[in-house]
Amino acid sequence: MGDILIIGEHKNGELRGVTREAVGAAASIKAALGGRLFVALLSDQTTELATQANLAGVDEIRTIALESPHFDSAIYEHVACSIGAELRPYLILFGHTADGMACAPAIAARLGSGFASDVFGLHVEDKSLVVTRGAYGNKLNVELAFNNKGVVVLTLRGGVFKPVVAPGTAEIVAATIDISKVAAQSVHIDYADPPASGVDVAAADFILSVGRGIQDEKNLSGFAALASRVGATFGCSRPIVDSGWLPKSHQIGQSGKVAVSCKLYLALGISGAIQHLYGMKHVDTIIAVNTDANAPIFNVATYGICLDLFTFADALKKQFDSSADTGAVQPDFQGDQT
Amino acid sequence: LQTREIFWSIGPSGVALFYVLGLLSIATFLWGFARHLVKYSRGRPLDRGRRLPAGIRRMLWDVTSHRTLKRRDRLAGLAHQGVFYGFLIAAAGTTIIFIDYDISRGLFSVQLWKGYYYLTTSLALDVGHLTLIVGVTYFIARRLALGLPKLDYIRRYRGEAKLRPSGQAWRIEDWLFLGSLLIIEITGFLQEGARLMVDRPGWDDWSPVGGAVGRILRACGMSVAAADHLRVGNWWFHGVLALVFTAAIPWYKAKHMLAVTGSLALRDTRPLSRLPKEPENADRFGIASVADFTWKEMLQLDACTKCGRCHDACPARASKQPLSPRDLILDLRLLNDREQGQHVAGGAVISDVIAPETLWACMSCGACQEICPVGIEHPPLIVKMRRHLIEQNIMDPQLRTTLGIIGDTGNSFGEAPRKRPAWTDELDFKIKDIRDEPAEVLWFVGDYASFDPRNQKVSRTVARLLKSAGVDFALLQESEWTAGNDIRRVGEEGLFESLVHHNLRAMSAAKPFKRIITTDPHSYNTIRNEYPEFGKVAPIEHYTSVLAELLAAGHLKVQQRLERRVTFHDPCHLGRLNGGYDAPRQVLAAIGCELVEMPRNRDNSYCCGAGGGRIWIADGPDIERPSISRMHEAAGLGGIDVFVTCCPKDLTMYEDARKTSGHEQSFVVHDLAELVAEAIEKKAISVDQLPALSERIVEAVAKRIGDVISARLSDLLAQQLTLHSKQVVADAPVSPEPETPQVHDPIAGTGTAVQASQGEVVKAPETPFEISAPALIPMDWDRLAPVRPAALPIYDIPPKQGPRILVTIKHVATLVGQPGLTPESRDVGPEYLEFAMNEWDDAALEEALRAVEKIGSGEVVVVTIGDERADVSLRKALAKGAHRAVRVWSPSLAIADPITVARGLAGVAEKEAPDLIFCGVQSSDQANGSTGIALARILDLPHAAVVVGVEWDGAGTLTLTRELEGGVRHRFQLPSPAVVAVQSGINTPRYATMRMIKEAKRKVLVEVDGAGIADGAGGYIVRKIYTPQLAKAEMLEGSPDEVAAFVAGLIRKKVRT
Repeated sequence: MGDILIIGEHKNGELRGVTREAVGAAASIKAALGGRLFVALLSDQTTELATQANLAGVDEIRTIALESPHFDSAIYEHVACSIGAELRPYLILFGHTADGMACAPAIAARLGSGFASDVFGLHVEDKSLVVTRGAYGNKLNVELAFNNKGVVVLTLRGGVFKPVVAPGTAEIVAATIDISKVAAQSVHIDYADPPASGVDVAAADFILSVGRGIQDEKNLSGFAALASRVGATFGCSRPIVDSGWLPKSHQIGQSGKVAVSCKLYLALGISGAIQHLYGMKHVDTIIAVNTDANAPIFNVATYGICLDLFTFADALKKQFDSSADTGAVQPDFQGDQT
Repeated sequence: LQTREIFWSIGPSGVALFYVLGLLSIATFLWGFARHLVKYSRGRPLDRGRRLPAGIRRMLWDVTSHRTLKRRDRLAGLAHQGVFYGFLIAAAGTTIIFIDYDISRGLFSVQLWKGYYYLTTSLALDVGHLTLIVGVTYFIARRLALGLPKLDYIRRYRGEAKLRPSGQAWRIEDWLFLGSLLIIEITGFLQEGARLMVDRPGWDDWSPVGGAVGRILRACGMSVAAADHLRVGNWWFHGVLALVFTAAIPWYKAKHMLAVTGSLALRDTRPLSRLPKEPENADRFGIASVADFTWKEMLQLDACTKCGRCHDACPARASKQPLSPRDLILDLRLLNDREQGQHVAGGAVISDVIAPETLWACMSCGACQEICPVGIEHPPLIVKMRRHLIEQNIMDPQLRTTLGIIGDTGNSFGEAPRKRPAWTDELDFKIKDIRDEPAEVLWFVGDYASFDPRNQKVSRTVARLLKSAGVDFALLQESEWTAGNDIRRVGEEGLFESLVHHNLRAMSAAKPFKRIITTDPHSYNTIRNEYPEFGKVAPIEHYTSVLAELLAAGHLKVQQRLERRVTFHDPCHLGRLNGGYDAPRQVLAAIGCELVEMPRNRDNSYCCGAGGGRIWIADGPDIERPSISRMHEAAGLGGIDVFVTCCPKDLTMYEDARKTSGHEQSFVVHDLAELVAEAIEKKAISVDQLPALSERIVEAVAKRIGDVISARLSDLLAQQLTLHSKQVVADAPVSPEPETPQVHDPIAGTGTAVQASQGEVVKAPETPFEISAPALIPMDWDRLAPVRPAALPIYDIPPKQGPRILVTIKHVATLVGQPGLTPESRDVGPEYLEFAMNEWDDAALEEALRAVEKIGSGEVVVVTIGDERADVSLRKALAKGAHRAVRVWSPSLAIADPITVARGLAGVAEKEAPDLIFCGVQSSDQANGSTGIALARILDLPHAAVVVGVEWDGAGTLTLTRELEGGVRHRFQLPSPAVVAVQSGINTPRYATMRMIKEAKRKVLVEVDGAGIADGAGGYIVRKIYTPQLAKAEMLEGSPDEVAAFVAGLIRKKVRT
């Protein structure tokens, strides 16, 4: 039996992508080891969430009604352990998110279970679970095993496992767990949204960044529009901020922000000064567009494109105009290039 | 015989009154003079000894020739010379009369002042007073008519439009000085005219001006009687005014007459190129209050005449930075005069009158001190005040980061030291390693020439030039650290000294060499002028003079004269600071370039804006950067082909500025060496293409080899994978899922090459999840046991004094180059790792220190699990203010998982019984993001992760703010003790100066045996570690549309799912 328990994560009433991805990851282990796949949902609106979490491969959904939709690590920990004690799963999965990080290690310590975080690969070998995660700034990979561990708790890196979208036929069971003792531990005050104007390149997962190659301030708006068209946060290198074309909050690099959460980085007209690379070279996928085939940016990029960036930007814009989702600003790159 | 009566018809009481007034005037003068001496006596001793006779000789020459005053404002210099000599003659006249009337006649009844002696002095006095009037009149007219910005006290560079009260006072003082002098002079001639009109002595041709005044008075219809009356009234007016003027000299602007002689005589010949050390065993660092001035610095403040030459020359002021050297000196003088050279407890300090941003604005270019006619040395003052700011941790965050990086890595780029010689890899020959074999010349490369890609190309060009000229040269390789010139100018004296000692040690441990060369004027300056004060160092030359010699001697032969029209930028550190003006010009002439001088050249060269650490400090939005202004200046010359530099920082600054200033099409920026290479190598391809070409060739070869290997590998892997088809590494960038083949289709379909070499590394099999054997894993919830704190040996813990905060610190590793693995492939070999304090833990420490500081009592204890290498980070934490450090270690913890580490930390926490624990939310090397929360659970404490705000009064409830994805902030309360895992960015961690690090050696660092921690019950076991296949960018070929389609596919796949 290789039962798996996923602790569902949600935001604003929506099941988060990491939980769908966890279902996908769990499916492979379930296929290898057999057993059942459980998803636990803690919220004040479990019915709607349970519908969303009823995904292909899920056998049973446990809903725990709370007074608030918000995450509380003590409650999550208590519930996970309580359900765990009843279901006795081999594997407990979280996303490697702010919530998962606040809760999963505590569960592992409390259970004395196996534990690994920020996992991006898992497979079964000789009937044992083997997981892969990064090491040394994600420059290397490590394979980890959990010898003699009856239970393993993992947090899974977002955006790497294939999310499940197909609906399933899970049984939905409402569970009653007394949380009164743990709930009293912390006192909730409030939630505050980030300031509307704030650009947080550190939190962005997709950044379209421009450098000196854009040549003139007049060309900036076109690229800003392209960024919003493709769903990217708009970043830049130091010369753009130095020229006063964009506020400092857009700057990526040693003196700006590090693109900590970035997964896809599109660098247009950035030659790759070492100070800029500092802020982005760790990003998983970097696409660099530059006319200079020897630009240092190509040393860190995953894909390099040796093209005029205005030509490229026009072509990329066309790709998104011709697709189904339209309605955003239409940038024009044939303008000033003097 | 010809003479004149001194006290004619004044009467005995008048004479007596005049003597009383005269004595009063002298007394007031002496009082003011003595007051200054008392003030100077409170100053610190001189920074270093002076050779006074040489200084006095030079002062006398400067004063008599007015050399310093005529520079860049010849008219003002000449006018001042008129005033100066006029004043000198007037003073001589007064002395002559004093000797004659009071000594010779008064004591011995012998009149000397008569006959031709009288007549020639009369003529000399007339001429002298006339030049004085002409000079003063020019100064008055200049102030009224020219509207010179350097004489404007409104601080427009700071955006001010109104005169400050101090400026108003200065303006009044200037007019009082000029006005009273002019009135004294005019009334003097009036007196002479009236006298000559009344007395008609018959030798009035010897007083041509006075005689003319007399004739004019008569022509205007003045009667002799009226002239006689005028004579009496004017005598008193003129006399008393002159006495008042004399009395006032030490009390206002006029005191420069005295102070300048001292200031010029004590002038340092190289104040900025060789900065003063801090006194040994000083209890305070730098200049914090007037008590920290040397007496010479006080004297220099008094010497300032507000001429504004420094104000004009300063690139910071010109770029609207909040600094004018003139105003800085004047503000300091006001403060020093108010405090009279002694700091009263609770009284004013420097920061009350000079804002930190003013001090940080300085580019250490030396333009101010170079042009100062009275020898004021502004830059050393600024650096000393910066030293205090560094001690107080008042600095730009970027600068703080850079200094930290330099302390960790020995270079400002944050690169691993062993990557320093990486620029030589692309050379087709090997450069000697001075550590292994002797050489004639040691090349000290410097940071920018080593690490900046554009400058690396220049370094390779210089290497080729030296080789072709047959120069026997070698490098220190990774033993070279940054020379520290700019670090000293930033004010981090401790770090500078440690860099100097490192480099001196490296040079003395090297095999023999005779001299040093460098392309970097900054390194050149400090090694030439400052290193000798710390130890023996070989003579150093800048490569410009080396190239000039090699060309002149024919070791480098010009194959084709370049016939380019070029202009040349004098680097501050080569030219102004070290006089290296000629060598680069000789080189340009030798290779056949027509040099069109910049309007501001040689000693008047204009800083690029990078000096004094400015290159590490972000410019504000309204700054008109000097490098841009310089580009406009060059473009204004018209028809320039090349803007030539000979400084790596210049090249970086001007390559940037050429693009941002809109002169990209006008000219190119080249290093001098690149032009020389072009001239001697006579290549069909222009020299700046050369490195690019070699890189392309290397790349092409590497790619071809890579293609062959990757094809073989993917075959092998495919075979392997069909055998072990259980593995799925769901890492998107290296394993495109087979379900989304459309990603590659648009381009692959057209037959153009998207080399999916990375995608092939892990070829996902068709049925990835198929597992053949059923699993038999024990579902053993009953066997589970919570992790307990490790039992550690007893160590000395002092009793609590206020709240105790425990901070967990990790000494994190970064990989260097291509890492090699340990034999069993479970970790990276230690030689491939470099270490530093984890950034998140630094933030946690800062939060703890601030908490203790706010509470006013308590103790911060830092703890780490690590071997003795981790002491570096613990010492740094102690330097920043932590009170004690605990390091737990056992070799069994070498690749411990976070749960095991947390168990060890919990063992320490159990002993320390802290009131709060701060952790970083993750470490930069392994990024588990788990240790802190696991620690909390093992200790059974409440916890919070990703915290960006902490409020705590030392006991009881904590109010915390947690940052969630998307920037949402969650505020909540927890009881203490608790474990708080903080996010980086919650604060700006303070900077530990090298001095603080040294002092922290006295604090307690306990080592605890952690043998019992790893009990095999940890979270995981490392099976193996390996390098994922990564390569240089895969270049996408094809039409723009095809490439864009591929990128759009990536975006949809990676972001929109």
